[in-house]
Amino acid sequence: MSQDTSTDTTSDAAAPEPVAEQTLGLDQQETSAVQWLAERGIFVFTTVLIVVAAIFVDGFASLVNITDVFNRAAPIGIVAAGMTFVVISANYLDLSVVAQVATSAVVLIAVSNTAGLLAAFGVAIVIAIVYGFVNGVAVGVFKANAVIVTLATTFIGIGLLRWRSGGSIYFGSEDSLIRAFGTTKIGPFPLSMVVFVLVSLALSYVLTRTTFGFVIKAFGSNPEATRLAGVNTAWVVIGAFMLSAFGAMIGGFVLAAFSNTAVSSMSGGFDFEALAAIVIGGTSVFGGKGSVMRTLLGVIFVSVLSNIMVLSGLGFGVQQMAIGALIVAAVSLDAIARKAATA
Amino acid sequence: MSDSNLQLGVQGGTDLVSRMRTLLARRTEGRAAALLVVVVIVTLFLEPTTFTSYEVTLGRIAQVGLVALGLTAVILMGELDLAVASTLAVSGVIMASFDNLAMGIAAALVTGLVIGVVNAFFVVQVGINSFIATLGMLFFLRGLGFVISNEQPVPISNVDAGIQFGQPLIGPLTPRMLIFIVLFVALQVFVTRVRVGREFYAVGGNRQAAYDAGIPVKARVYLGFVISGMVAALAGVMNTLERTAADPTAGSTVLLSSFAAAIIGGILLTGGRGSVFGTLLGATTLGILQVALTFSGIQVDVQNIIIGVVLLLAVISDPATIRAVFSNARAFFSNRSAPQAQGG
Repeated sequence: MSQDTSTDTTSDAAAPEPVAEQTLGLDQQETSAVQWLAERGIFVFTTVLIVVAAIFVDGFASLVNITDVFNRAAPIGIVAAGMTFVVISANYLDLSVVAQVATSAVVLIAVSNTAGLLAAFGVAIVIAIVYGFVNGVAVGVFKANAVIVTLATTFIGIGLLRWRSGGSIYFGSEDSLIRAFGTTKIGPFPLSMVVFVLVSLALSYVLTRTTFGFVIKAFGSNPEATRLAGVNTAWVVIGAFMLSAFGAMIGGFVLAAFSNTAVSSMSGGFDFEALAAIVIGGTSVFGGKGSVMRTLLGVIFVSVLSNIMVLSGLGFGVQQMAIGALIVAAVSLDAIARKAATA
Repeated sequence: MSDSNLQLGVQGGTDLVSRMRTLLARRTEGRAAALLVVVVIVTLFLEPTTFTSYEVTLGRIAQVGLVALGLTAVILMGELDLAVASTLAVSGVIMASFDNLAMGIAAALVTGLVIGVVNAFFVVQVGINSFIATLGMLFFLRGLGFVISNEQPVPISNVDAGIQFGQPLIGPLTPRMLIFIVLFVALQVFVTRVRVGREFYAVGGNRQAAYDAGIPVKARVYLGFVISGMVAALAGVMNTLERTAADPTAGSTVLLSSFAAAIIGGILLTGGRGSVFGTLLGATTLGILQVALTFSGIQVDVQNIIIGVVLLLAVISDPATIRAVFSNARAFFSNRSAPQAQGG
């Protein structure tokens, strides 16, 4: 993956180290079963899960249910796709997506009600840029811990939103474009799912086919080497948080369009749920390793699993326990594979 | 000639300054103390009721600071424990599920201990980043709390004990404040005067060096997570007693304010630097700020904005960070901000 994309500038910037690390497991003739699973497990598990669900779980393979799965997966998936860049750049996660998604949803409905759709987009884009910039500068320039920085911006963002909106629920008009977007389907696919796939493809292109994507992976696996290679690392971090902010913005649009309503509390839990999908997809929290397509699979896996549990009558508590166990299992697999690779 | 004079002059002039700077750089509580002074002065002028009705303020400080004290032990070693909030919730639910109060409290504390051991197992034995291991535990334990409680608040059977728990015991001090004070003193003594506790700094400062020096690093990490887990469980017990019911959804604000207290207290997330006293300063600042803002009738939302801004400033105004930003990047990467082992 990395070889065919390297151009003159990127091969300099990436340094040999991350490339070697990435291909380590693949070049060796005898890759252990654990390493193989850590590399490709999510493809296998997702496929198996869907096949098993289709055969054994009543009501899973119906058109209504599949549309429902997609509708629920799309907003969190778009957020996760953007946040993947923050994780790959070894900055753990962007907690402030909770505030960003809610803000973008409220702005879309509230501003488009009064000033039109274009104005809403404009305001949302400005807000996303501010979020990406503030988070990125604090982490990239001031070298502050991303968890705490984005925790602080969550406090500020949610506080501002509730203060301005008074915590009230905004309803979109019934004949608006937003409503039309939320209800249109192509076969079993709601438009939100189409947006999710398009955003994933675009972000995947950025990560695998552009200099920025290449540099961000290099930075994630070795910030020092990347800096010595002449990369302005502050901009790499800012860029990662910008992409995360844009993912959160679009995720907020889709979330608002789905119900045609918006409220400041609608995105609770998006931060850790998005990270769960990213990690379960196999993107390493140590940075430098991962892909947007893995996140896509992780999101589908978690959504299908939750759906199966709901259909089987299992409660929210059990679903949460399963997600927690999956996170630990996925990362344990990664850690054990790493140990095997270095041994 | 003039150049060298200038140089000498500068050096002579900066000697005292640099000594003070070294002192400031070695202590991590400086910013927290400064912030506390500012908050206290501003509060004295604008909302003096915060200090006249000090029972409320003290109670709030004890509430904000308790979980943060436990977290400090983990962060000192360069690890994170995101599971504290869920630990608090699940241990409260477990406690309320027992009819016998003493049995319930014991069960809750054992729960905290087990959670700490499990967290440490994944971090130490499996080798997962503690951030992710405890993130998994956050989900798992929250789910467990929901399953045990059937997603409903669980009332405790001994309501009288709960009401009694809220009453002052010695002077104006409620049991919560007393427990907080005892725990603070115990932890402060532990990490500054007890060998095992001082080794936490070594483990956080340079794990390899600590290991080479013969410190049982794994055992220390286990101990840190156990402290954090048990303190969180204790907080769960106290919250449940005060409200006479366990809330399975308790948590997210606890997580945020505990981290905020520790960070404002000046602890370094990379480990090895910080102090229990700093966390107390951070908790005191946050507690006074919250109570003062509430008394002045400022909306909770605006309070959150202010706390968020304080937290953001605290995390980007770390002295080492500021030096790193203004010195050249090379100096930064040759580890000028490297954690130094030091006792509080």
